[in-house]
Amino acid sequence: MSPRVCVRGVTVRFGGLIAVNDVGFEAAAGEIIGLIGPNGAGKTTLFSTLVGLVRPAAGSISLDGARIEGRKPHVIARAGMTKTFQNTALFPGMSLLDNVMTAAVVREDLKSARRTAEACLERVGLRKAALANVADLTFPQKALAELARALAVKPRVLLLDEVMAALTPAEMDEVMATMRSLRDEDGMTLLVVEHHMRAIMRLCERILVLNFGRLIADGPPSCVSADPDVIRAYLGQDHAHHA
Amino acid sequence: MIRALIIIAGVSLAAWIVGSQLPARSYEVRVLCLILLAASMAQSWNIIGGLANQISLGHGAFFGIGAYASTILQLSYGLSPWLGALAGMAAAMLAALLLSLPTMRLKGPYFALATLAFAEACRVVANALPMTGGPQGVSVPFLGDSWAMLQFRAPGTYLPVFIGLFALTSLVFALLANGRIGYQLRALRENEDAAEVAGVATLRTKLIGSLASAALTALCGTLFAQFTFFIDPDSVFSVSAISIRMALIAIVGGVGTLIGPILGALAIVPLEEVLSATLSQYIGGIAPFTFGLVLIAIVLLRPRGLASLPGLRLAEGGRP
Repeated sequence: MSPRVCVRGVTVRFGGLIAVNDVGFEAAAGEIIGLIGPNGAGKTTLFSTLVGLVRPAAGSISLDGARIEGRKPHVIARAGMTKTFQNTALFPGMSLLDNVMTAAVVREDLKSARRTAEACLERVGLRKAALANVADLTFPQKALAELARALAVKPRVLLLDEVMAALTPAEMDEVMATMRSLRDEDGMTLLVVEHHMRAIMRLCERILVLNFGRLIADGPPSCVSADPDVIRAYLGQDHAHHA
Repeated sequence: MIRALIIIAGVSLAAWIVGSQLPARSYEVRVLCLILLAASMAQSWNIIGGLANQISLGHGAFFGIGAYASTILQLSYGLSPWLGALAGMAAAMLAALLLSLPTMRLKGPYFALATLAFAEACRVVANALPMTGGPQGVSVPFLGDSWAMLQFRAPGTYLPVFIGLFALTSLVFALLANGRIGYQLRALRENEDAAEVAGVATLRTKLIGSLASAALTALCGTLFAQFTFFIDPDSVFSVSAISIRMALIAIVGGVGTLIGPILGALAIVPLEEVLSATLSQYIGGIAPFTFGLVLIAIVLLRPRGLASLPGLRLAEGGRP
């Protein structure tokens, strides 16, 4: 059986800059994988490439065995992979419910899309704010709204770009519980970018580390956090010797 | 949707009641027809200009194609303008498709300028073609009052035609705005990348909106030709009198809302008439100058148009 996501040799160039350099990994159904790395390491660019917003210069990406690199984002979304946006990218002139419904009306009629959207809002704990204009939401609510809209796509692979950035520890626990239920009940594969190390170490069984566009480590949290390359990437050359 | 139907029915009924009180050959009933035509044109524009915020300044192209298609078919083959209107709508959709190929990825001022150039090119070409009558224009031959040929001596007889046009364009707008396509158009208006990632086929959705908008605009063009009995390229493909005016009415009234084009037409058309009846003979160009001022004032003071005035809070929450 082919892995749910298979990434091989993916390279992304912006002019002379190589933002993602020969990255390859596989993700199985029902895995929660953390993606970490210093600022500018290429995490968001890798996510954008996986969902089709950025075209890779080289490499292949497949979803359940079907090649998807170079396809349009809506094609990839309908095939089952979507992402949330760092710093959120909601539709400001629309209510929260309408934001989430947009992802559902693509497949469903209005009545059914509304039920789907309400269920997704319920799942992230925003049901009560359904009719609010998204411009009036707080930042943590906006991040959760991003998550709800992504869930309305009914993805098999969900890429989460710092949805927990502005949350309190209690709210983070709730979101992590939601993520685990997405894996356990829905069999979803999650890739999670997060700067909050303790959260990511607790949440993920496996962590990928990017540095200057290259994948420098791939393994369980304990191995990754002890890896000299990773420590060097995060703390600089000197600390690697002492570690 | 129920609220939209009430608005459409209410405005249509009000137009009918007011119109039936006016003498069929009066100036006032002619102005009423022009208000309904202007509201229909702005409503057609509103589908793509409002819901998707693709500010087209080239809808005069579709209007002119509609006006000329039915008129030429009538002159050459004696074809009824009812059928000519369908031919005009098909031709306008084809033109919209061709225009969309290079422009649908453009945004904001780039899209506006590309569409403006397209309409201007249509005007120049129409002026050079023999079948349009060139700069002299063509007249619709008057064969006596006839529903089959959609022509009447008195402007008042056209009232049901323009009420029907208004109801049709408004209904299409409301159905699209409140339907699945409306969600997708508004989403891509707000953030194209986020819409794509949520599964919206943005180019295809914009194309559907453009085709519907172009077809309805062409229908307005056919009815305009039947109403005035004379068309020439400079008037039906006009940048200021058609293309910009369609956008202006929708923006002044409230862009992206059902009520916007209605309020815009009610404000702009009477103003136009008053200005041309009073000041135009003394100060040339006073009408377009005034519209420029009105547009600046609206954009600065009420960017969401007259529909956002207190007491008229119908544009609330961005819902149509």
